[in-house]
Amino acid sequence: MNKDIEVSTSQKNDVAFINIQGDVTAVTGEVIKNAYKNEIVSNSPKILFRFDKDCYINSGGLAFLIDIASEGRKKEQKISAVGLSEHFKKIFHMIGLTRCISLFDTEESALEDF
Amino acid sequence: MEKLVELHIPNILGSEKTAIEKAVSIAREMGFSNDRVEDLKTAVSEACINAIEHGNKFDINTKVGITLASDEKALEVTIHDEGEGINPEKVPKERTAPNGFPRRRGYGIFLIKNLVNEISFASEPGKGNDVKMIIHLENNVS
Repeated sequence: MNKDIEVSTSQKNDVAFINIQGDVTAVTGEVIKNAYKNEIVSNSPKILFRFDKDCYINSGGLAFLIDIASEGRKKEQKISAVGLSEHFKKIFHMIGLTRCISLFDTEESALEDF
Repeated sequence: MEKLVELHIPNILGSEKTAIEKAVSIAREMGFSNDRVEDLKTAVSEACINAIEHGNKFDINTKVGITLASDEKALEVTIHDEGEGINPEKVPKERTAPNGFPRRRGYGIFLIKNLVNEISFASEPGKGNDVKMIIHLENNVS
């Protein structure tokens, strides 16, 4: 158990949720990757990352999100995210991660887009 | 610039949080907006991580030094490691991998360059490497 991050998964209809609280870094990224490997998530056609508004993400953590997005594309999964602060939305745009993970302001709008 | 603080952190991933907290505390006292504080946090974080990983090469017997200085318009953050330094010209400019996806790593300096107003690098054999970043109170990064 990594005390810097809390990750849980859940499912509703054909959408799998990855709920993230805490720091997304090179140290904690493996926890998120393991959540993605969870059978429910890895086999779901639609995945929604639910970031806590206070999540902190650095380049080491972005690497794990890129890994998941890459794996998701191979499986033809649609991946979206909600809850990111404006700063981290900007970071996602800067590095081009929005080409593979769609960002939404609300969970409702993300679910509608699926 | 007036020197405000000098601190040293262990060469361990995660210890950069100490530097971030100190920089944020000073930035808020100076009147940085929340947006600029977030930019500063990422810039300091990435510079420290680069120092730990690429400068000091994860050697726990080394340290990363952080110096904070300011004037009325800007905060200057210098990150010092004990390594040989990086060649910023060798940092890949292309952010996309051949498969069209973002590259997995190598975003530290790219992000810093996009978030701060000025960045410079200095290395001296045997004395380590300095990355100096200047971030202005107002968000006018082009």
